[in-house]
Amino acid sequence: MLNITRRRGERIVFGDDIFVSVLEVSGQTVRLGIDAPRSVRIYREEIWLAVKRENEAAAGAAGADMPAALRTAVADLRRTAVSDPGTSPAPGINPATPRS
Amino acid sequence: MVMAIESSRFGHVEIDPETVIEFPDGLIGLGGRRFALVATDTGGPIVWLHCIDDPTLSLPVTDPHRFFSGYRVELTDEDAERLGVDESAPVDVFVTVVAGSQPSDFTANQKAPILIRDGRGHQVINQAPGCDFRAPLFAEVQAGLGGGAPLFAEVQAGLGGGEDPAEC
Repeated sequence: MLNITRRRGERIVFGDDIFVSVLEVSGQTVRLGIDAPRSVRIYREEIWLAVKRENEAAAGAAGADMPAALRTAVADLRRTAVSDPGTSPAPGINPATPRS
Repeated sequence: MVMAIESSRFGHVEIDPETVIEFPDGLIGLGGRRFALVATDTGGPIVWLHCIDDPTLSLPVTDPHRFFSGYRVELTDEDAERLGVDESAPVDVFVTVVAGSQPSDFTANQKAPILIRDGRGHQVINQAPGCDFRAPLFAEVQAGLGGGAPLFAEVQAGLGGGEDPAEC
């Protein structure tokens, strides 16, 4: 890992268009300013990691039985008339249907 | 022309190219660029966001408004600008669902909704307060049924005798 020492007000450049400034240093806390193109997504690491984990869990949970489990749970929910059976989950989107 | 995915989860799935959703940045931490919404249960609240380029990648998603009253998405100014959304533009909102062995274990990620508009999708960080990475999906439904014991038992029974997933 590259280690760089910076003082307050100094910057680091990633490539030609991403600038990270040290705005403030106070005890254990460092405040950074990031100037990057709009297309660059910036996350606090713990947020990024939590979302990555949930995405992986959603994609992998319960293995091959998940569709059946979900279908059953959802069917039961519908039977209780909690959700409106007349509406699709997302107006304007036409989900493709797997061939049976 | 029809596209087809040989899905590891669903087998042969045909996709109308017009319904393909481009994710310029992929899903957070997972990647993927082209997805389609696939339904095993037409009209049901759960649909699958299936990657077209990776037949092993699919995630169950749902419209959070059906499960969480008052759910809303707030974007940072940077995200709003990046996505080109404004208040007037209709956007479809989905959240990822993690299935569990029983209904009370099902969770949804309120914190990182997927916004889809005009065939483009983005997963964003929701700045609205009170959002959870693992919000119990059926909590409100069960509470609305006086504790949800009957529903819970029904769903649990259903999970034990689930249909053959190969018949999706």
